[in-house]
Amino acid sequence: MTAPVLEIRDLHLAFPLGRSLADLIARRPGRAVRALNGIDLDLRRGETLGIVGESGCGKSTLARAIVRLYRPTSGTVRFDGDDVFATGNRRDRTYNRRVQMMFQDPYSSLNPRMTCGQILTEALSVHQMRPPAEIPARVAELLDLVRLPQDAAGKLPHEFSGGQRQRIAIARALAVEPEVLIADELVSALDVSVQAQVVNLLLELQERLDLTILFVAHDLRLVRHVSNRVAVIYLGRIVEIGDSESLFAAPLHPYSQALLSAAPSLDPTDRGRGARLQGELPSPLNIPPGCPFHLRCPRATDICRKTRPDLRSVAARGEVACHHAEEIALNG
Amino acid sequence: MTRDTILEVRNLTTTFTRAGRVLPAVRDVSFSLGRGEVLGLVGESGSGKSVTLRSILGLSRHYGTVTGEVLWKGRDIAPMSERQLRTVRGREIAMIFQEPMSSLNPLLTVGLQLTEVLKAHTDLGRTERRKRAVEMLDHVGIPSAAARLDDYPHQFSGGMRQRVMIAIALAARPELLLADEPTTALDVTIQAQILDLILGLAREYDMGVLLVTHDLGVVAQTCDRVAVMYAGRIVEEAPVAPLLSDPRHPYTMGLMRSVPEGVAPRTSLYSVPGTPPALDALPMGCAFAPRCPSASAQCSAADPALSRLAPGRLAACHHPVSLAKGDAA
Repeated sequence: MTAPVLEIRDLHLAFPLGRSLADLIARRPGRAVRALNGIDLDLRRGETLGIVGESGCGKSTLARAIVRLYRPTSGTVRFDGDDVFATGNRRDRTYNRRVQMMFQDPYSSLNPRMTCGQILTEALSVHQMRPPAEIPARVAELLDLVRLPQDAAGKLPHEFSGGQRQRIAIARALAVEPEVLIADELVSALDVSVQAQVVNLLLELQERLDLTILFVAHDLRLVRHVSNRVAVIYLGRIVEIGDSESLFAAPLHPYSQALLSAAPSLDPTDRGRGARLQGELPSPLNIPPGCPFHLRCPRATDICRKTRPDLRSVAARGEVACHHAEEIALNG
Repeated sequence: MTRDTILEVRNLTTTFTRAGRVLPAVRDVSFSLGRGEVLGLVGESGSGKSVTLRSILGLSRHYGTVTGEVLWKGRDIAPMSERQLRTVRGREIAMIFQEPMSSLNPLLTVGLQLTEVLKAHTDLGRTERRKRAVEMLDHVGIPSAAARLDDYPHQFSGGMRQRVMIAIALAARPELLLADEPTTALDVTIQAQILDLILGLAREYDMGVLLVTHDLGVVAQTCDRVAVMYAGRIVEEAPVAPLLSDPRHPYTMGLMRSVPEGVAPRTSLYSVPGTPPALDALPMGCAFAPRCPSASAQCSAADPALSRLAPGRLAACHHPVSLAKGDAA
């Protein structure tokens, strides 16, 4: 197996809240939203790793921390072996180029006052990808690559549909010839038929350009379709990670099971099937002790209330953070 | 099984005019809904499904021109004045929206917003109203309901706010609920809870539901019957199971096929070629013809009428798909 492109180790990220009056009186430090609580993750070269979880679980925070939009509280992210948060790293700007992010909202992620051509030119010149004279030709190539017509270069973002805007976002990311793409809900705002077009394009470009993709999305069907491996996140921790097909076919963590069974099936005869998950995601301000999922878990026992399970290999089917995983693997 | 029809929409057309451009958002839409029935209105953004819903309750006429009939228990409510409509809105027909934060008043407590509805639509006294408000919150699954009456909307999570919206909508025991993408902003786990809740309440009160959604999974799990909209028109209507297993309109078929299910992972997904037409530049004839795999000269000449293919099955297509049941879809 090749060495991972990105190695994330014990990543923690907390957003501190101001100290409230109550905190001052009690002479305690202010509280913090604990978004990431010890993420260990390897991104293997050439794979698509899907990240799923409910809103607020930390999946977007993880994506943003990887591209250094947020600075983690502790832990490391290594790219090709180099710590990307180490100060004075010579390869600093290179990292920005080699790992590119694409965002969910095609309306706010493109500068409304720059034409599509200017947007692509900016990316090319900031990273000095081409001598100035060759830039227009490269812009034309990029438009071709994402199948936008050549006259798109002269148009402003508002002249494009949502699907076309996401193509521009993809072209902008690819302009700097990255190795890793971080797609944070890239197609979530699009209608299904347009979604299919953009996903097809992404998979085709991945093949052609040998890209590694971290695909963050809440649409489980879509994640299953594009991913080689999938990680399920709950309250800032990975609770299960494994091969996409086997994880979707037979999830081992009770949370993964509940999450997958909540996705509405296209078969009307499936109605009322699958256990409903009770309650909501606890606040990341106040994470329960023991297993963070025990309050909503149908299998919770004493040990779950006391000890937090670590992520460990179970039955050669992936890694699971659940005290009862072996039992589940055995008996379903 | 036939149920009494409570709502019948006939030839509903809603047109907006913006900067001199005429935008026909809803074109000649007709359908009916039985008591206690759940009808899904499905389509992509801009297909006119939300405008249809709003036009039923007279919310679109402030911005555009609405023609056609909206027969509510036999009485046309489309031409009614705002004053007359008030006896129907909220009391007999209630509506819930996609974004629970922007449809609740952030400055008023949840209890006040609930009792306000009861004050307007029922004869209950002050203490009874409060009691009913607690009952409603309890009913929609809000823990320690009595204690939460005095909380403001921002003190609730997204899923809880949508529950509050439903409690407010159902407080006056309406006979019809218009739900505009009620779960789109929610996580799948919460979505499943909210859909269960709406269906449970519909069954309990024998309430009709008109559910607008773009999610075919939600349709499969909740609706009795489905109408598919494209460019402002209903292009297909059928009971849910046959619609999903055996779509007859090429657009419905395209929608079904673009859902990544039953497709080998990481292979190319089917996608309907092209994009939906702009409303002020609708093509001649069938609006779907330029994107349709089975379009013929006839399709660009004449817009097909929504016609009956089989009992309960309608499609507006010159060349309806006939796919044998059991074929790989």
